[in-house]
Amino acid sequence: MSEADRSDYLFDKTGEDPAVAELEALLGGYAHRAPLREPPARRRRHRSITAMTAAVLVMAAVAAIVIWRRDDGAAGCPSAGAGFAFAVAGGPARCGGGVALQGTLPVGAWLETPGGAVADVRVADIGQLTVYGDSRVRLVGTGATGHHMELARGKLAARVTAPPRLFVVDTPVASAVDLGCAYELAVEADGRTRLRVTSGVVSLEGHGLVAYAPMDTEVLAAPGRGPGTPVAITAPDKLRAAVARFDGGDPAALRAILEVALARDTITLWNLLSRTAAADRAAVFARLDELSERPSSVRAEDVLAGDPGAIERWREALDDDWSCPGCGQKSKYKK
Amino acid sequence: MDAREPTVAEATVAELVVAVQGGSRAAFGSLYERFHRVVHAVALARVPACDAGDVVQDVFADVWTKLARLREPAAFPGWILAMTRNRATDVARRRRPIDVAGDLAADLAVAPPPRVEAAAALRAIRDLPDTYREALIMRLVEDLTGPEIAEHTGMTPESVRVHLHRGMKLLRERLGGEGGP
Repeated sequence: MSEADRSDYLFDKTGEDPAVAELEALLGGYAHRAPLREPPARRRRHRSITAMTAAVLVMAAVAAIVIWRRDDGAAGCPSAGAGFAFAVAGGPARCGGGVALQGTLPVGAWLETPGGAVADVRVADIGQLTVYGDSRVRLVGTGATGHHMELARGKLAARVTAPPRLFVVDTPVASAVDLGCAYELAVEADGRTRLRVTSGVVSLEGHGLVAYAPMDTEVLAAPGRGPGTPVAITAPDKLRAAVARFDGGDPAALRAILEVALARDTITLWNLLSRTAAADRAAVFARLDELSERPSSVRAEDVLAGDPGAIERWREALDDDWSCPGCGQKSKYKK
Repeated sequence: MDAREPTVAEATVAELVVAVQGGSRAAFGSLYERFHRVVHAVALARVPACDAGDVVQDVFADVWTKLARLREPAAFPGWILAMTRNRATDVARRRRPIDVAGDLAADLAVAPPPRVEAAAALRAIRDLPDTYREALIMRLVEDLTGPEIAEHTGMTPESVRVHLHRGMKLLRERLGGEGGP
């Protein structure tokens, strides 16, 4: 029997081919299911629209010049040159002390967006930041070995296509280290920081703590404490409250976390392995071991002793489910 | 005699393209529904999974703004797939580890892939020649049949059949067995 006769299933799904069916099941988790995003505005050529746009631009330019002149001669940011290009919609922003609708954010300069404005910032050739209103960001440094920014207040969304750890955003209480793809970062007036990872993985680091946050998890970082323990965005309020108490210094909250934790919370439990010791770590280990499939290469005694290598190997096994829930046929979550 | 205009669901790709050029968002949504999976497959053949979705959205944003330049509506499948290959190649080039010395080199692996077995299978497909890997990803990942792949790529069904079978033969060899994955 020829290859074609045997494998019609491959072409039109008639007949059977178990090997192809197995590959379909294995790879189906990669299939594209996302809805269409709102398309960008098209350029219109009607004279009335063009005239209206021109009038708005002239008014904006006049307003910018007036505000600029009130700025006691602040130099502002250059229109081109070294740094990150940006463009602002919804009103002029302040860049380097001056007013700007677009330009280049040089190293050391602050970009401040007023309420209602949104700035798009191009991060070298590796990605894009959306800086929302009432935010203050600074370019700390940029070069071949990395790009470093600071978010002092407000909110940004980052989308980065680069090797891990190449893009870092500092906040007053932690540093968000990109390990691949997309996240949102918000900083409140007191420095309290909230990270939400929408794709890939981000490491939130500070005060000697590291929070490993894959897609669909959130992390809070508070002044004086550094990054807290990540939670799944689908985690119930009871678990979030218990994690907040634990991160705030209440070790008794660990019991509540372990009681509430389900398979979706393995990200919380895995991070807790490095934030606990002795009997507490043993309790976390026991619950994580119940909820997930521990690889044979990860020995219980090594995890209980806090061996970083063993804990990392367990993470690598869990990463598959955190990064792509439902991918493949087997899950390391126990049902 | 029924003289009504075809709905977007009934329209041909060329009719949808003309409607989108005229500003129809409904037709644009229908084009997305028909083509997002082949666009994703072409992207996934070249870039990490977490970037492929962004490539799809970027390509369709370009379709919306640049479709007026397409003079022959029936050429849309080839046009959008060429645009996708260019966009994905750009993203893959930026993803490539940069050439720096020191400890940073140890950090340059791409983000951890989904499931080990799935990632290994996808990697094996990506190592195949272009023509085979795109067709296999459309079939095995996006769950399109051979006739659907032909319709959305402009290839003949027979060419698709040949690509799928040759690609699958190579893939079986590379996955190391008679039994597939």
